[in-house]
Amino acid sequence: MKKALYIGLLCIGLFAKEVDLSAELSAWKSLSYKTAAKDSNGTLSAILELNKASYVGLINTPKIQYVSRPTNEGGSVSYGGMFQVEIKQKGIYRVSLGNASWIELVKDGKLATSAAHQRGPQDSGIRKIVDYALESGVYTLQLSASGDSATALLITKIK
Amino acid sequence: MRTTLWIWICIGVLYGGAMDSSEAKIELGHRLFYDADLSINGTMSCATCHEQKNAFTDGNIAHPGALGHEGKRNVPGLSNIGLFKNLTWANPYVSGLAQQALMPISGTNPIEMGMSGYEDEIAKRLRQNECYQKLFALAFGEEEESINLNNVTQALESFQKTLISNDSLYDQKIKNHQPLPTKEAQEGEKLFFGAAKCNLCHTAPLFSDDDFHHVQLHKLPIDNKTEDNGLFEATGKVKDRGFFRTPSLRNAALTAPYWHDGSAKTLIEAIQQHNLTINHKLSEKEMQKIVAFIQTLNDNSFVTNPKFGKPSNDCTH
Ligand code: HEC
Ligand code: HEC
Repeated sequence: MKKALYIGLLCIGLFAKEVDLSAELSAWKSLSYKTAAKDSNGTLSAILELNKASYVGLINTPKIQYVSRPTNEGGSVSYGGMFQVEIKQKGIYRVSLGNASWIELVKDGKLATSAAHQRGPQDSGIRKIVDYALESGVYTLQLSASGDSATALLITKIK
Repeated sequence: MRTTLWIWICIGVLYGGAMDSSEAKIELGHRLFYDADLSINGTMSCATCHEQKNAFTDGNIAHPGALGHEGKRNVPGLSNIGLFKNLTWANPYVSGLAQQALMPISGTNPIEMGMSGYEDEIAKRLRQNECYQKLFALAFGEEEESINLNNVTQALESFQKTLISNDSLYDQKIKNHQPLPTKEAQEGEKLFFGAAKCNLCHTAPLFSDDDFHHVQLHKLPIDNKTEDNGLFEATGKVKDRGFFRTPSLRNAALTAPYWHDGSAKTLIEAIQQHNLTINHKLSEKEMQKIVAFIQTLNDNSFVTNPKFGKPSNDCTH
């Protein structure tokens, strides 16, 4: 069951139907693989780069020690994990995600406020798009309550 | 003399014991309400759809289930839900909050937490957790099988009965025999209980008569299959088509969007959407006054009380 999901997602992620994606989403079509971190130390080697889509492997929820307890934490059978992302310029950033996991961006123990939510374009493999107002600095991106052990992720600056 | 003392001690112990178990049920229900292990893939708890900050709604038209199935109806708030006899938008047969809890957990129309056919999985997951082992024992006794779905729903009922909202500005003013602070809200109150007759159905103090009414703008055709038939879906009686239970207006300013299908974005739209001559005759100004009154039914302590919020990870037992 899980394997099928994995393969399914991979297909969605890599072989998404040819659709017209706007310029800032075009990197979605070239995924690289990353494993999520299970604690704050781990995030040092789970670094996301802007404008580079990653296919991310997630971790079983009970094994994760989040930097900040997620609002929607998930249960013992769900998945999640953390990544680090460096924001050089203050602005509005967009997180595009292949599944419906809960997304939180944390800096100095504080959650970034999300400015807007939307669904991804039809047949793009993007399930969820959330925009955040971010300051410059290093953020921890937390994914939680994921039903799948892997998904795809892209962060872009939109303003 | 000695016997009386012993009787008192016995009563004390029994009563003390009983208190403990009902408090344990509430705490257990509180934890379960926020536990995503009640859903098939661990992604969704009751609180995913019933968020405290929105008076236990979620701000969506309808919320998709854990496996992505479309939601059917708008998520209702849970203010004073323990005082309602009829539960959900349109069903007179739900026996209580415990039975209701099974609807999201293992219901299939729509599929929400997705546990239909996997109900045993819940007890299996909860038994792994030491805190639950202690709380279930405190709440339901030490028997081995006390961690079961029936007790899960009983505990959820106990917790939800504590979701009392009775400390809005309106309540405070009533208690102290004072008028509402603004002229607009005072005039809105007058209209609500007087000329506009809202109180007929949105009856104080619950601001719901807990009864079913037809207030839809259009009558559904007999062969309707695309729209929500309301009470008819539970009773099968043709005359019940399009009837829905009056929603409570407590904290309503926090529970947008409105209506069983989430079709009204604002309180004004919801007021206009009733098929009632009085509602349609209200001027824009009058509706604004009524909205100002409805805003005084917001209960800040209800949406911030930590007893109803996400429980801490620590097991206090
Ligand atoms: C996917 C979103 C979702 C989840 C998860 C969910 N609910 Fe609900 N809840 C709803 C919707 C939608 C309704 C209205 C259903 C209807 O009228 O048919 C509702 C109705 C209710 C009601 C009746 C409210 C009223 O006004 O009569 C109660 C009580 C309730 N839910 C409690 C719970 C509990 C307890 C859980 C967890 C076991 C839970 N809900 C999980 C969406 C959800
Ligand atoms: C005949 C009974 C009746 C009267 C009178 C009535 N309502 Fe309603 N009201 C209802 C019912 C039933 C619904 C739910 C309809 C639905 O969702 O299909 C409702 C829904 C609402 C809602 C949306 C609440 C939510 O949570 O979705 C608001 C707001 C509201 N009414 C305000 C008013 C006001 C203000 C008045 C007076 C001007 C009024 N109503 C008069 C029965 C009534």
